[in-house]
Amino acid sequence: MANRWRRLIVLLFGFLAVLGWAATPASADGVSLRAQVKEQARGAGGETANKPIAGVVIVVTDEAGNEVGRGETDDKGVVVIELPGKANYTVTLDEDTLPDGQALTGTSPATQRLTAESFITSTKVVNFFTGESQGGSQNLGEKLAQRLVNGIRLGLILAMCSVGLSLIFGTTGLTNFAHGEMVTFGGLAAFIFNITGLTFLGFLGFLPGVTDDGKFHILIAAPLGIAAGGLFGWALNAGIFARLRQRGIGLVTQMVLTVGLSILLRNVYLSRFDSRTRPYGDYSLQKSWKFGPIQITPRDFTLSVLSVVILVAVALALRYTRLGKATRAVSDNPDLASSTGIDSERVVKLVWILGGALAATGGVFRGLDEQVSFDMGARLLFLMFAGITLGGLGSAFGALVGGFVVGVLVEVASLVVPSELKAAPALLILILVLLFRPQGILGKAQRVG
Amino acid sequence: MDWSLIFENTLKGFIGINAVYFALAALGLNVQFGYTGLLNFGQAGFMACGAYGLGMTAQYFEISMWWGIPLGILFSVGLGLLMGVPTLRLRADYLAIVTIAAAEIIRLVVRSVRFKHYFGGSDGINNFSRTFRDLGNKVGIDEASRYGFSPFRFTGRELWTLIVGWILVALLGFFVYTLMKSPWGRVLKAIREDEDAVRSLGKNVYSYKMQSLILGGILGTISGMIFALDRAAVQPDNYSRDVTFYILTALVLGGVARVSGSIIGPMIFWGIFTFLDNFMRQVADDPIRIGNFQVMDSTDVGPLNFILIGLTLILLMVFRPQGVFGDRKEMAFDGR
Repeated sequence: MANRWRRLIVLLFGFLAVLGWAATPASADGVSLRAQVKEQARGAGGETANKPIAGVVIVVTDEAGNEVGRGETDDKGVVVIELPGKANYTVTLDEDTLPDGQALTGTSPATQRLTAESFITSTKVVNFFTGESQGGSQNLGEKLAQRLVNGIRLGLILAMCSVGLSLIFGTTGLTNFAHGEMVTFGGLAAFIFNITGLTFLGFLGFLPGVTDDGKFHILIAAPLGIAAGGLFGWALNAGIFARLRQRGIGLVTQMVLTVGLSILLRNVYLSRFDSRTRPYGDYSLQKSWKFGPIQITPRDFTLSVLSVVILVAVALALRYTRLGKATRAVSDNPDLASSTGIDSERVVKLVWILGGALAATGGVFRGLDEQVSFDMGARLLFLMFAGITLGGLGSAFGALVGGFVVGVLVEVASLVVPSELKAAPALLILILVLLFRPQGILGKAQRVG
Repeated sequence: MDWSLIFENTLKGFIGINAVYFALAALGLNVQFGYTGLLNFGQAGFMACGAYGLGMTAQYFEISMWWGIPLGILFSVGLGLLMGVPTLRLRADYLAIVTIAAAEIIRLVVRSVRFKHYFGGSDGINNFSRTFRDLGNKVGIDEASRYGFSPFRFTGRELWTLIVGWILVALLGFFVYTLMKSPWGRVLKAIREDEDAVRSLGKNVYSYKMQSLILGGILGTISGMIFALDRAAVQPDNYSRDVTFYILTALVLGGVARVSGSIIGPMIFWGIFTFLDNFMRQVADDPIRIGNFQVMDSTDVGPLNFILIGLTLILLMVFRPQGVFGDRKEMAFDGR
C-alpha cells in the first residue's frame, strides 16, 4: 500500500517537473509596440492635461489583415504588444472599449499605420488621444449585441471550468481553492506541447503536425493538454485528497490545504513561465467575421461551438450513463449512495479526472481566446465561485447554467461598469443569491446552516 | 556568502514591522477562524479598510490623521456586515467564498482609474505619516538618529513604529485572551464545536458569529493601519488575496486558537522567510552550476519563497492542522 502511494507522489512530482523545467521562458528577440491611450483635456489657459485610460483594446494587424497581437491598456493607459518583427502594421483602437462619454479626438484616428522603417529602436510608441464625445459611433443595441456575443464566449468557458469545481464539492464537500490553478494547468500544458516543445518526443516528427524538436500543432497539443489536465486531477486526488479522506481529516483542514496548493502551483507556474501573457502558435492571427454589428473571429466561433458540444455531452453523460447517475447520486447524498452499493471512492476519482480534464479544456480555450499566463485560472476562480453559487453548490447542471449566466452578465454589465471593474457585478450576484436563494437556481431547498 | 548579514537580517525579521502587522492580523483571523470556526479569506480587505481610512483622512478631508482610526473601523464594520449578512446563516464555505471575493473587489476598486480621485489608483496614497512621526519625536525618539545594539539596529522612525506596534500587539493580545476566557468567548468556542447545540441553548448564533467576524476584522484594520503608518503609504497591491493566505500560514504555524500562537507564528514566519530570502539571494548572486544547468537565478527567488510558503501550509495541514504549538482538540471541527 505504502509503495503505491510513493509511486503516485513520485509520478505527481515528476509530472510537475516536466511541466516546470521543460518550459524555460523564451527570450524576447522581436520588436514590440507600446500603445498609449490618453484623455486630452485643454484648460482655459491652453495648457493640456493627459489622463491615462485603462481597459482599451488595441489590435495590431499585418499587411494581409491578419491579427498579429492584441492587448488591453493598463491603468497607466499603456499596453505593450510584442510583434514578430519589423514590418508594416496597422494599429487599431477598438472604439467599443473606450469608456462611455469618451471618443477619439479628430486629430487622432482609430487606425494608425506603421511602416517597417519607422521602427528605429525595438520599441515603437503609438499614441491615441481621446476627448469628451457627443455619442458613440455605435448605438446601444449594437454594443449590446457585441457584448452578448463576448459574454456567451466567456460564459461557455466558465461553465466548462466550473463543472469540476461543483462536482468535487458535491461528492466530497470540498471547496477547492486550487481549481483556478487546474484551469491554468491545462492552458500551460498545451502551451508546452505547442510552443516550448518536448525534445524527447522529437522522434514523433514523422507524424503530421509534429516538428522534429517535439512541438505539436495546437490541434494535437490541445487534446494532449486536456489529457494532462485529467491526469493532474487524478494525481491530486490519489496523491493528496484520497489519503486525507482516508485519514478522516476535516473539510476545513482540506480547504486550507487547497489554499496552500494554490499558492504553490501558481508560483511554480510563475517561476517557469514568468509573468508575461503569450499566445499559442496557431490560429492566433485571424481576421474577424462580421455579422451586422457583431464581430467574431473564426477561431472564437469554432471554440464556442466546440464548447457547446462538450457541455451538452457532459450533461447527457451525467443524465443517462450509469456512472453519471452514480455521480449525481453521490453528489446528492453520499451516505445513501454508498448504502445502495455505489462505490463512492470510485465516483470521486472519476469526478476529479473529469473535473481536471474539463478545467484544462477551459484553460486551453481561454488561452486561445485570450492568451496564456500563469494566473489565467486564478483570475477566473472568483467568477467560477459566483457561477456555481448561482447554479447551486454541488449541482453539475447548476454549474453549467450558473457559469454561463455569470459570464454573460459580467460582459453585458461592462456596458455600464468600467472594464477594470468588470468582476464587481459577480460579487453583487453572489451576495444577492446568498441573501435570497442560497440554494441557487437549480439546487434543492434544504437547510444549509 | 555573508552569513553575518543573513543572521542579522533574520533576527531583525523576527521582531520587525512585518511580524507586527502580521501578528495583529493573525490575532483577528484567530478570533474568527481559530475560536469561532469562521473561514475569513478576506482579511486583506479589512487591512485595506484601515490603511485607506488613515490615508484618505490625512489626504483629502483636511482633518487630523487620528480621525482616520474611527473612519477605518467604520469601513471595516461595514465590510464585516456586507460579508456576514448573506453568509453567516449558511455553511462555512459560503463565507470563505464571499470574503475572498469581497477583498478582491475592494482591491480592484481602490486601484481603478475610475476612482483614482478618491483612492489614488495603483499608486495609492503617500506621505501621510507626518503626525504620527511627529508624535514619536515628541516622545523622545528622534526619527533621524539610530538606536539599538547590533544586530538590532533601527532608525528612530522604525523604532517608534515598532514600539507602538508591539505595545498594540501586547494590549490587544491580552484583550483577546481575556475575552476568550469570558462567557462570550466560551460561546464562540461552543459555536465552533457544535452550532446546533449552542442554538438549542437559546443563544443567537448568527449574532455571535457576526460579532466575532467584525471583531476579527477590526483587529485586521488596526494591522492595516500600523502597516500603512510604517510605510507612510497605502498601495492597493499590498492587500492582494495572497496576503490573507500568508497570514493564515503564519497563524497556523504558530498554533490555532491560542493567542500566543498568533503572535509567535508571524515571528517564526518572518524569521524563516527573511532567512530564506536572504540566503537564496546570496546563492543566486553566486550561482551553483551543475554542468550547463544553473540551479537558481535571482528571478527565481521570489516565486521560490512563495512556493515554500505554499508547501509549508500543505504540510502543516496534513501533519499538524492545529499548528506547531496548537492543541489538536481545538482543530477537530468540521466545516459542514
